[in-house]
Amino acid sequence: MSELEQISTAILQGEEEKAPKLVNRALRRKVSAKDILENGLLVGMGEVGVRFRAGDMFVPEVLMSAEAMRASMELLRPELISEGVKLVGKILMGTVKGDLHDIGKSLVNMMCEGAGFEVIDLGFNAAPEKFVEAIKEHQPQIVGMSAMLTTTMRAMGYTIKAIDEAGLRDRLKIMVGGAPVDAEFAKRIGADGYGSNAPAGAELAKQFAGAA
Amino acid sequence: MSDILEQVSTAIIEGDLDEIVDLTEDALDEDLGAEEILNGGLMAGMDYVGVEFKAGNMFVPEVLRSARAMKMSMEILNPLLVESGVQMMGKVLLGTVKGDLHDIGKNLVGMMCEGAGFTVKDLGKDITPEEFVEAVKEFGPDVLGMSALLTTTMRTMESTIKVLEEAGVRDKVKVMIGGAPVTQAFADQIGADGYASNAASAAELAKQLVSQA
Amino acid sequence: MRTNYRMNSGVRFQMLSDDQLEEMFWGVLHLLEHTGLDVKHEQARDILEKAGAWVDGERVRIPSYLVKESLRMAPRSFTLYARDGNHKHDIRIGPGRAHFGPGPTCPNFIDVETMERRPYVNSDVPAVAKMVDALPNIDFCESLGTVSDVHHDLGALYEFAGMFPNTSKPIVAWSYDQHDSAGIHQIAVAEAGGQRAFEQRPNYVHYCEPLSPLVSTFEALDKLIFAAKHRIPLIFTPCPIAGGTAPVTAAGIITQGAAESWMGLTVAQALQPGLPFFMGGVYSVMDMSAMILAYGAPELPLFMAGVTELAHYAGLPLWQTGGCTDSKCFDGQAVIEGSMSVFFSALTGGDLCHDVGYTESAMTGSVFQLCAMDEAIGYSRRIARGIEVNDDTLAVNVIQDVGPNGHYLKEKHTRRHFKSEFWYPNLLDRQDFESWEMTGGLTLKDRTAARVRDILATHSPAPIKPETEKAIEKVLAQAEERVQE
Repeated sequence: MSELEQISTAILQGEEEKAPKLVNRALRRKVSAKDILENGLLVGMGEVGVRFRAGDMFVPEVLMSAEAMRASMELLRPELISEGVKLVGKILMGTVKGDLHDIGKSLVNMMCEGAGFEVIDLGFNAAPEKFVEAIKEHQPQIVGMSAMLTTTMRAMGYTIKAIDEAGLRDRLKIMVGGAPVDAEFAKRIGADGYGSNAPAGAELAKQFAGAA
Repeated sequence: MSDILEQVSTAIIEGDLDEIVDLTEDALDEDLGAEEILNGGLMAGMDYVGVEFKAGNMFVPEVLRSARAMKMSMEILNPLLVESGVQMMGKVLLGTVKGDLHDIGKNLVGMMCEGAGFTVKDLGKDITPEEFVEAVKEFGPDVLGMSALLTTTMRTMESTIKVLEEAGVRDKVKVMIGGAPVTQAFADQIGADGYASNAASAAELAKQLVSQA
Repeated sequence: MRTNYRMNSGVRFQMLSDDQLEEMFWGVLHLLEHTGLDVKHEQARDILEKAGAWVDGERVRIPSYLVKESLRMAPRSFTLYARDGNHKHDIRIGPGRAHFGPGPTCPNFIDVETMERRPYVNSDVPAVAKMVDALPNIDFCESLGTVSDVHHDLGALYEFAGMFPNTSKPIVAWSYDQHDSAGIHQIAVAEAGGQRAFEQRPNYVHYCEPLSPLVSTFEALDKLIFAAKHRIPLIFTPCPIAGGTAPVTAAGIITQGAAESWMGLTVAQALQPGLPFFMGGVYSVMDMSAMILAYGAPELPLFMAGVTELAHYAGLPLWQTGGCTDSKCFDGQAVIEGSMSVFFSALTGGDLCHDVGYTESAMTGSVFQLCAMDEAIGYSRRIARGIEVNDDTLAVNVIQDVGPNGHYLKEKHTRRHFKSEFWYPNLLDRQDFESWEMTGGLTLKDRTAARVRDILATHSPAPIKPETEKAIEKVLAQAEERVQE
């Protein structure tokens, strides 16, 4: 098995310790970071996506792969930047004010990291001002918001308004999700997109990154 | 409707076996005619029972009790009706065919037919074609009903009808058949005059067959 | 006379042994004493501390004796009352008594006319309540949805205002906050004839939901404190998801969920000793492909049976779950999943089984599912009632009288028992083929739709008092004023 095949296999099998080790070894052997990313890591994650959709892999396994991907990317990101490779981008994620539910958003985070994004997580119960500040500080291309309750989903609208008022709306794509949220609601509050589940959230982010 | 007729029909609906005989006698004491009591009391009650049964508000044991009340009243009225030359509903001869010991479906049909005002003679079960022929000659029914519960015995219905033909009595009766494995197609195939899928519709069918005759 | 004769009334169903239950009981006490929960309500923390709990920042740990004391104070048997004094609509909570009703807060609803999915609106509330009032096997009312066409802070209030006049069966009310709770209580008290009369004959139950894992949220406790102060029977119902927000194993999720409920129990009993308290909730799995909380998974009734046994072992009534489905429409899946869970729930005798009528994993409420489940519950109740054995039911004399090849249709014995021994379906078809064909060849879906529409067109619930009508108007007007500010 080639070095790159070994890397993609390690990603597929969710080997959090082995995958970065293999990445490191490949770098030492002068394989380009771009090559490692495109022909190793992303090939592995691509296969994960295919198997998940086919029902052959399950969420806990996908998350192991995403974890291996995240650990590998941490190592690879500086090399990619110095090679001048354009990164998929940065996502700012948070569960909106008043909502303490964390698990859905954490799933999206892990899926996005698995897709190669750098994810900044504001945690839960994040106020609109906190989103605005974090956007200024981290300069993400995408902001993701989550709400689990019919009572808290409207805080998404307030947050988008606050981002708009701070003059930051135009440089961002905003995606929303959570059990009570649907596409119509997303449109109504002025979000750019809606993901019905975590993989759909990651897919949406990829689309936004391609469009950005 | 007079009070007494209403009481008679209520007794029929409620299957009140304790009261029905007295009420029938009371009605006669009030100089009501047998035919009037039959139509205005008994049949009015049984019609109501039929509607409620179809609607799922009355159940078989209740309908049978009403039918029994009807029969008890009819035992008083029958001689009077004959005397006054009233056209009776007619006679039904019933039997489960040869080789078949299942009885309950046919019993149900019998009770339902009595409830509809028929005079019913039940031959019982395991009845040979010859026994049917003899009974038809002797009893002179308007309708002959045959029942079979098994796919193995239902063919006997066909041979029974054949024997009726050979004996030259087929034209004298309307033949209706029924039982779990029996269908309309089978009835057509063996030359029966009608088929009913359950006991209540068998009584309906008997009424239709009689009015056609 | 009989001596030393043992009788079973109904089906005897037990999954866990007393030894296993004691072990789980220990697990819950250990979690509460050792790990504790985050309690995000200052007043609640004070109450707990005064009662003898250890408070460390937001983290509260409760010594076992205090939990046991709280369990001892909460009643196992009590009555929830019909608002109009109709005893048939009362609910008697106690051993071996299972009751059923819908759930709250679905964003969508299956339209009664079109049978299509759309947002839940205010005019759906009376329809759901009327269905509950008319269906013989549905015992309590929730609204099956969150009203989308009123001010977003007033959804819960409008729900209660819509349900209360349209059923006299006891209502389970949820709310956003203390404002709602106060409005709801005002309406219920007006009908009961004052706070004291309400305390003696409570006509609704208050519903609060803590967060898994191990968080008692501000809103849940704020509402709990309101309910306890006003002596409103209380449901404290977590919704742990196995493999997501709770351990993946059945024993693990049950233990964690019980700890989440009993934190609420301890606050409630400290404030109002003897307050009727239901532990809850919805225990199911996270589907590891679809990433949803599965409402149709076999683990749901299984977990719920385990929680029921633990609750009863600890001496509490349970807020059960069943009659729900992951299906998106009225189909075989909806009926299989719903029927299996209500049957299992009936066997466990879990006290109030909610979420009957949920489809699409709690995203869409359906009165069609509710109506079909009414039938499944009737079916289940007949089985759960079991077999009665005595001289009369044994019928050896009747058998002797009828003899070989006779029949029982005309027997007094038959007439005396056929209505109570048999269950009669409202929706399930048993006609012969010809009759079925002649009556239109209707499917279960057709018959269910017809029954729903018939009930909505013809059923009229017992009216509320004129003063209650005035109270509703006043509460809604005040609430509208409040949200305009």
